[in-house]
Amino acid sequence: MASEVNTDFLHNKKLDSIAADILRPVGITQGFIVWMGFLGISLMACIYAYYIQWDKGLIVTGLRDYISWGMYIANFVFFVATSLVGMLISSVLGLIGFKWVKPIARIAEIIAVAFAAIAGLVIVSDMGRPERLPYVFMYGRIQSPIIWDVTVVTTYLVISTLLYFLPMIPDLAISKGRIGHTPKWLQKTYQILSVNWNHTPKQYKILLKAVRIMLILIIPTAFAIHTVTSWLFAVTLRPGWDSSIFGPYFLTGAFVAGSAAVVIMMYFVRTNYKLDKYLTEHHFDMMGKLLVLVSIVYLYFNINEYLVPGYKMKTAEAIHLNDLFVGEWAFMFWSVQLLGLVIPILLLLFKFFRKPFPMFVISIVVLIAAWFKRLIIVVPTQDHPFLPIQHVPKAWMVYQPTVVESAITIGTLLLVVIIITVLVKFFPVIPIWEMAEEQNEIDSKSKE
Amino acid sequence: MIKRYFTLLIIVLISMRLSAQVWVAPAENETKKSPFAFDDASRKAGAEIYMTNCKSCHGEPGKNNAVLLVPPPPDMSSVKVQANSDGAIQYKIAVGRGLMPSFKNTIPSTDVWKVISFLRSFNDKYVQEVSKNDGGGASVPNVKIKLNWLKESGQIQISLTAPSKEKGIQPVSAAEVKIFAKRYFGNLPVDEPRNTDALGKAVFNFPKDLPGDSIGSVQLLAVLSNDAFGDVKVDTTMSIGVPTYRAPLNEQRAMWNVVSKTPIWLLLAYTIAVLGAWGFIIYVFLQIRAISKEGSGKDTESAA
Repeated sequence: MASEVNTDFLHNKKLDSIAADILRPVGITQGFIVWMGFLGISLMACIYAYYIQWDKGLIVTGLRDYISWGMYIANFVFFVATSLVGMLISSVLGLIGFKWVKPIARIAEIIAVAFAAIAGLVIVSDMGRPERLPYVFMYGRIQSPIIWDVTVVTTYLVISTLLYFLPMIPDLAISKGRIGHTPKWLQKTYQILSVNWNHTPKQYKILLKAVRIMLILIIPTAFAIHTVTSWLFAVTLRPGWDSSIFGPYFLTGAFVAGSAAVVIMMYFVRTNYKLDKYLTEHHFDMMGKLLVLVSIVYLYFNINEYLVPGYKMKTAEAIHLNDLFVGEWAFMFWSVQLLGLVIPILLLLFKFFRKPFPMFVISIVVLIAAWFKRLIIVVPTQDHPFLPIQHVPKAWMVYQPTVVESAITIGTLLLVVIIITVLVKFFPVIPIWEMAEEQNEIDSKSKE
Repeated sequence: MIKRYFTLLIIVLISMRLSAQVWVAPAENETKKSPFAFDDASRKAGAEIYMTNCKSCHGEPGKNNAVLLVPPPPDMSSVKVQANSDGAIQYKIAVGRGLMPSFKNTIPSTDVWKVISFLRSFNDKYVQEVSKNDGGGASVPNVKIKLNWLKESGQIQISLTAPSKEKGIQPVSAAEVKIFAKRYFGNLPVDEPRNTDALGKAVFNFPKDLPGDSIGSVQLLAVLSNDAFGDVKVDTTMSIGVPTYRAPLNEQRAMWNVVSKTPIWLLLAYTIAVLGAWGFIIYVFLQIRAISKEGSGKDTESAA
């Protein structure tokens, strides 16, 4: 984001057409009602599944004494991971000065807000006695990584929300006179949220400063959130978790999942709302290159994470690695590593695969693989505790997720999609004023 | 290298010698008998003591599940063991040999007899002979043990008395007394066992550096082991040790301690990070208010 704003763009004729393009999908349409109806009914089924769990306890899941972290915790790690992309795109790339991230930044922030908001709920879904949640705050110990995690997730959610909201204030002011086709309450909301914005240079100055502070603050917060999430595992002695590179390993993995999520959402917005003028092939090309970069870094950490213990083959580590490489988990492990990492890297090196549709397909595969990757990090370690499992029912030794558990997990994903849908349908998904400002710059240059 | 082989050879020879050698109790112990008749209560108590102290090596009697050591600990129901007299078994438990430890300071002699009572229950042919405690003049019940602290010399004086029908309260002479300081996992013998003199007194040297609790209290156990009297014990606490204060492990700040004992560095790091981040967040909220104030009263659409 520039340090100064030339407000001339407000008088440029093209502002009208840009605003019209971006605001066209805003509002309640028939498609929106059908889509939300589908999401709502599906969510009801998932809420019923949660009611069963609330009533009967975690016995309705596949979780038992030995494998007590399953799908829920994997899902939590996945959610936190995916939400980190907000920091990567608006902050790191934005502050460096890459102009191409401008139309994508808000999409990245929507993903950050949606996933971070639901991550907290996912943790609650893993609690056998969720009514005891307040105890975390009443009796929590500052020494415990759980408390650090709760703290940073909350902080990250607030900063992400501010980073979504702040740059949108000028848009809300621009939009409020142009959304006559939407319900009255939405127009009223725009009126309130635009906080008396009237494009004075002083307001821009304050806004840019506030945004800049948040862009810088979100970098250490995002690093903290996922590093602390990795410490929930790495501070134990168990094979597969007992690793000193878990922090950066999680962080780089997060960028892979997040970038894929951004591409998927970009594709939806571009095709459904006919915004290909703003989300061009160039943007997909750049996102493709970004995805290759973060995937290579993540691959590098994967090699470290598996090769170093694999070379030493300490007894407990050896059992774990054998399970992953050639044992029970081998199929999932190699599918994830190949489909989610190696093959996308190779494909995305070619320009053809960085076009919107191939990117979209590759990103879906990468995102699904990213989810299973978390499952591989969370579950197999618990298959082999240091003291052998003896004299317990077979069901306790093997983690077999139940229907209820899967439904609850799907429910959390639905909630994320609902938040994204609402934000996309009720607010401009691409920054109008930044697009107009850019256009104005091009125009004034061509006049010279 | 040669030295090591030599040592090994000696060890092997000694263990062979030990296993080969027949273990015979001294004549006076051989004929010793239990001061009480074995009954179900003594067998039950003996079984409990056996399971805690003896089973780990000898296994359960009759089950042949002893630990594989060299020489092997015999099964207690075996003919070889049962061939011993009660007195011989009592002696062997008390004194020990080779890998078999001495239990004389760990298990009181009455309890040893209870163990023997339990062991004999595996021998159908066994008929007990109880010690003939005809008493004579020496056997007097109700022996009293009194401990005195001799501050000048740093010694503990013990006096034994017993009431007698004819002469009233009389000193008990020539009785062997032991003193122990109680501690975790067994008792610490204080000085050598002593015999009381004609006045029924004996003096024990008490170590100057024995740690007591925070005010120097030491729990002392004086034991008179005598078949004529049975076991007589007295338990007293005296402030004669070195006052020692050992901080409880949970007193200091540590990662694993309660929240009020958080390490300072962590408390500072956490607080600074949280206050820092939220300070900026609050500042930004105030900026939103400033934006709103700046624009209030002006026509917001005018610029566009």
